[in-house]
Amino acid sequence: MNGTAVRVEQLAAAYRGEPVLEHVTFEAQEGESVCVLGPNGGGKTTLFRVLLGELEPTAGRMELSGRPAYMAQTERTRLDFPVTAFDVALMGTLAAGRWWLPPRRPERDAAAAALERVGLAGVAGVRFGELSGGQRQRALLARALVQDAPVLLLDEPLSGVDPASATLITGVFDELRSEGRALLVASHDVESARSFDLVLCLNRHQVAFGAPAETLNRAALEATYGHELIVLDDGGGTRAVTVQHHEHGD
Amino acid sequence: MPSPLDLADLPFLREALLELVLLAVTGGVLGAWIVLRRLAFFSHAAGSATFPGLVAADASGVSPTIAGIAVALGYAGGVQRAGRGGAGSAASETARDHGEATALLLVAALATGVILASDVFESGAVVDRLLFGTLLGLDTADLVLSAVVAALAAAGALALGRTWSAVGFDPDGAHALGLPAGRADLLLLVLVAVAAVAAIPAVGALLVTAIYVLPAAAARMLTASIRGLVACALGVALAEGIVGLYLAYWLDVPAGPPVAVLGALVCLVLAAVTKRAAA
Repeated sequence: MNGTAVRVEQLAAAYRGEPVLEHVTFEAQEGESVCVLGPNGGGKTTLFRVLLGELEPTAGRMELSGRPAYMAQTERTRLDFPVTAFDVALMGTLAAGRWWLPPRRPERDAAAAALERVGLAGVAGVRFGELSGGQRQRALLARALVQDAPVLLLDEPLSGVDPASATLITGVFDELRSEGRALLVASHDVESARSFDLVLCLNRHQVAFGAPAETLNRAALEATYGHELIVLDDGGGTRAVTVQHHEHGD
Repeated sequence: MPSPLDLADLPFLREALLELVLLAVTGGVLGAWIVLRRLAFFSHAAGSATFPGLVAADASGVSPTIAGIAVALGYAGGVQRAGRGGAGSAASETARDHGEATALLLVAALATGVILASDVFESGAVVDRLLFGTLLGLDTADLVLSAVVAALAAAGALALGRTWSAVGFDPDGAHALGLPAGRADLLLLVLVAVAAVAAIPAVGALLVTAIYVLPAAAARMLTASIRGLVACALGVALAEGIVGLYLAYWLDVPAGPPVAVLGALVCLVLAAVTKRAAA
């Protein structure tokens, strides 16, 4: 453990020649969690797309200890598609490269074990669209777990999730970290970022990177969110919240 | 009323029956994916896009099948190319997002075909056959093409079904799994386009939807799994093809319209029943 899981140096990316992300430099060790904070359009999803190899960086370099697994937002999935929670978890086995063959017993077992781990064994045969929001998120997490990846990229995994599912999901995150996997979690929630090992603030470029205590200061957050940031002083300490609308594909 | 056994006894009906059975296999296997991946409009447009090419081929002595497949492949490639560059954009989503362009192509293709048939090549009689199909004149080449397309559709669905499913369910997630999503989608579009060409002799360019979309759309209301959808669509396509063929023989009309009307009626009745059951 404690080898480098992700190393990014001066990374930049663009869509159709238009720069959308510049000067991103950070490093995460095995077992570390990184909260990727930023406004809509700040570059969180773009960073993930580059790390997944979907988008070619225009500058810089990156190293990952293995192919990352990705957990998409449930809003990006088709709820009317006739797949069960088990089918979704089983999709994770496609990352092994045997996409043209039917799933074998070990792959089915891995999908069942992943569902068990996220507490969905009892609803394995239920259609994805009929699951609750939290259960859907957990099914997508199961799909990521099946890939047995050293690095997991999680796009707002707790967005719109009920408290019970959130507790279960964060519990799985802790287990993954203890197994030596690095987690990069895109989030809008400034306060939850304090529980991560590291915080990466993006606003089309890297604003700050480091431990939460060093990074989550007023200057860095204002540079990250601008007018979307509200700082609350409720007597028990300063808290920051954002007022941005929830959007996708930044 | 003629005997239903005539479908097996009379040689020209036997050939037509075999053709519809082969198309039903394609309609069951591929139709499920056409409905799931929202390619109904694409499949309809693919049939119509080939129309002017078929008219020109018919008049100039070129093989209509080769001309139709060439046009259909070009159409599938064009839709796929239009989708490149979008983040996680799958071919089906591209086909849907480019609805206006598809509609424009549809109208232009039909109008060009009619002009070619009536004014340039003066072969207006060809139009009815190409647009609505015929039971008469199906030859061995038509049956061979349908058999090859059915085999390709089955092989494609077996090898790529998991990928098509992953991409249809979550395009971003499928790309992240490292799946060959673009190539798999292109193959799906090519299969649908070639299948449309194979169906034209029997049901016509305008009624390709009747054999490839309506049975699967009906099956979608009856089953909640992909495997069940394929099996059910196959059964519905077979039943509608056989009954439609019998009606065509009885009423002395081309096969396409009865199959299409039957397919539409089944869909409407099922939609009404399922809506009532859900209320």
